[in-house]
Amino acid sequence: MRRILHLLVISTQREILQWLAWRAFLLTLIINQMVAPLIGLAIWSVALPGNHQISTYYVALLAVQLMTVSYENHTVANGIYDGTFSQQLLKPQPVILGPLGTNIALRVLHLLFGLPLLIIVGIGMGTTWDVRMILLALPALLLAAILRFLFTYLLALSAFWSEQAHAIVSFGETLIFLLGGSAAPIALFPANLHILGEIAPMYALLGFPAEIMSSGLQQSQILSGYGWQILWILVFALALQLIWRSGLRRYTAIGG
Amino acid sequence: MKLIRILAASFSLSLRRELTFRANLLFQLLLTILNITASFLVLGAVYTQTRTLGGWSLGESMSLLGTFQIVSGIYATFVEPNLSWFAGQVRDGKLDSALVQPVSSLFMLSLGKCEPLALSQVLPGLLVVAIGWHNLGTIPTGWSILGWLILLAVGLIIAWAARVLLACLSLWVPSMDLDVLYSALWQFGRYPVDIYRQPLRFCLIYILPFAFLATFPAGILTGKSNPLLPLIGIATGALAIAIVHQAWNISLRRYT
Repeated sequence: MRRILHLLVISTQREILQWLAWRAFLLTLIINQMVAPLIGLAIWSVALPGNHQISTYYVALLAVQLMTVSYENHTVANGIYDGTFSQQLLKPQPVILGPLGTNIALRVLHLLFGLPLLIIVGIGMGTTWDVRMILLALPALLLAAILRFLFTYLLALSAFWSEQAHAIVSFGETLIFLLGGSAAPIALFPANLHILGEIAPMYALLGFPAEIMSSGLQQSQILSGYGWQILWILVFALALQLIWRSGLRRYTAIGG
Repeated sequence: MKLIRILAASFSLSLRRELTFRANLLFQLLLTILNITASFLVLGAVYTQTRTLGGWSLGESMSLLGTFQIVSGIYATFVEPNLSWFAGQVRDGKLDSALVQPVSSLFMLSLGKCEPLALSQVLPGLLVVAIGWHNLGTIPTGWSILGWLILLAVGLIIAWAARVLLACLSLWVPSMDLDVLYSALWQFGRYPVDIYRQPLRFCLIYILPFAFLATFPAGILTGKSNPLLPLIGIATGALAIAIVHQAWNISLRRYT
């Protein structure tokens, strides 16, 4: 375990250094990630003027988005397509460590580079924060980060079978946008969609921690939200194992 | 005339190539429909909370969304395939082959390739505009449709011009790849620019004029904008073409 953790730290450090060399490109990626929550913020603060909670919610969502970004369609799927994935298979370590290191590195850099804009928007929109709620949201944030990684990694593994992995991941991202609380906060969904929104994995990996941070949930909702997060993590981890095993058998060194 | 012939030939060749992969067409159509549904649901959720969004009613916003979809579809067909990852092409010296051809290099590099299947995004866009009209309960006059078509063309010219200017920037700073940034900012065109706060609104009207993509054409169609706007649009479009020509010729001297 210690060895694996050590390898993960090394991989993360190496990726941070590598990505720092691509600062300008990284900045465009960060802006790309911020656009959807910013548009949501603009729309909803015009639609519901004077509602500070909704501004707080969207600024929190912006932070969650930056801390949970996942690009496994690029880091994993492309490797399967061009065959460089074979090198990962030869290394005497679990293959997932490579993409996981890149993932953590990118999240750290996204937060670091996005922080100034986050603070400006937060102050500009007159947001208010409750420190207790932020502390309560930290475990949810960690679980959301794990779930988002598993979700994107699972979709990216479709590269073993199909040429459309990028489109499949972007399909998943549209679902996250729609059901994750980015297009509209789940609380504002029509009544019949509300239940579906609350139990969907997309909400667990994006909207839920943001909603705790903006003090939009009652205690019972927070508890059941944590329950759904853990359940979805177990489901996705299991699915990942199955897909990984059968995908690996299909893989040939010349690509998927 | 010669340029139109080349464009037609490239279109037909690309169409034949793309039709070999019919599954891609199906997938692209699915993604387009999902994206439009997502935007539709967002509008639906917003308008259950408010009657107008920055002065736009539901029907007007739908016309805008449809217009945005049409412009995005045409742009994705004719412009996007050409200048993607342009900085990389500059670094690798891939412009050579276009520069030695007996046609304008600006034309060849910015419009020479196309992806006909992306045109499939236009049809749902037209449908959404029609639904918007139906919702408004009025039939647009011939003049407003003409104004809409003119501004649609102007929007496309401006989108092309802005993209070429970014490509020119890559000729000066070859490490700068602004593809992701451009497509991220593009998303701001999906909603009326009136909902954005200053200074973002100022930027979207005067600096990177994405207001021309959908807000201005839809404004003419629904009778919200100044009737003289198409004339201003024609002047802006002509100016944009002139600037692009000049900037391209100057920037190309940097290419070695």
